[in-house]
Amino acid sequence: MSDAAPHTHSRKQYWVIFALLFVLTVAEVALAQAPVEKTLMVGGLVAMALAKATLVALFFMHLKTEMKALKLTVFLPFLFPALYAFVLIAEASWRFLK
Amino acid sequence: MSSAAAVAGEHEGHGAHAHVLPPDEYFGEATAGKLGMWIFLLSDAFSFGGLLLAYGILRGGAQVWHHIQGQGGWTAETEPTLGINFTAGLTFLLICSSVTMVMAVASSAEKNRKATLVWLGLTALGGALFLGGQFKEYFGLFGSEGLIKEGLVFGHSAYASTFYVTTSFHGAHVLTGTIYILITLARTAMGKTDANEIEILGLFWHFVDLVWILVFTFIYLV
Repeated sequence: MSDAAPHTHSRKQYWVIFALLFVLTVAEVALAQAPVEKTLMVGGLVAMALAKATLVALFFMHLKTEMKALKLTVFLPFLFPALYAFVLIAEASWRFLK
Repeated sequence: MSSAAAVAGEHEGHGAHAHVLPPDEYFGEATAGKLGMWIFLLSDAFSFGGLLLAYGILRGGAQVWHHIQGQGGWTAETEPTLGINFTAGLTFLLICSSVTMVMAVASSAEKNRKATLVWLGLTALGGALFLGGQFKEYFGLFGSEGLIKEGLVFGHSAYASTFYVTTSFHGAHVLTGTIYILITLARTAMGKTDANEIEILGLFWHFVDLVWILVFTFIYLV
């Protein structure tokens, strides 16, 4: 019945995630101050932020080893604010550019 | 160790207050407290989502977003640029505190009370230092001028208002989390907590870290 593995506390894994979060933070700060095109910069920064947030949720909050129902309960509702964000920010930007 | 197993195995010294539910078909051995915390975190995430959404809409439609003299025809008051490197340091501090918290959760699952207390203490220290950093950023400290004195005043522009509303709402979460950790630390020292309680506390603290990752990117970097 259960599709959830019990939480195993691998300290080595926690330090690996910590190192990844540190590297991604340094990369974000470097990209924010680099002379790159704005769209590319924003895309890169958002992708890295979402990667960091996902790492925290999956490994530090142990969502990776939770049951499917809990994973879906947590992740699915975020599709709606993401959709609202895309539509509303795109609309505000379009009005400004018009 | 699963949280329910931890609860079942650690009743010493704190009475029978942790009610273990039978395994659920969909949520397994997750306790009611843990599910309750997840539901609270979802609602809290939507609060932050609303703030970030408002920020994105205001910024997307703004003629001039950041009022810097000489840019966008703006000639009046100049607003300071946010200190990315200092805030990156605060971000690193919060990531470190997430690691110390997950170590506290691991130690409590292994029933190592002494290690749990040390890791919880370090996490609370991280939270307190973060709050100190945010105070310095707003009001200045040790001779440095804060953002308010430099001209970033709440209500003077959408740039300033969205910055203060979003970062202070997060700061209120860090303050709440730090107090929550200190209370749990005291209760752990008295032998009144179990692995389930520490895991629920951990969920809240990691959420505070997770939200800051997004706030740091959208407010400071983009």
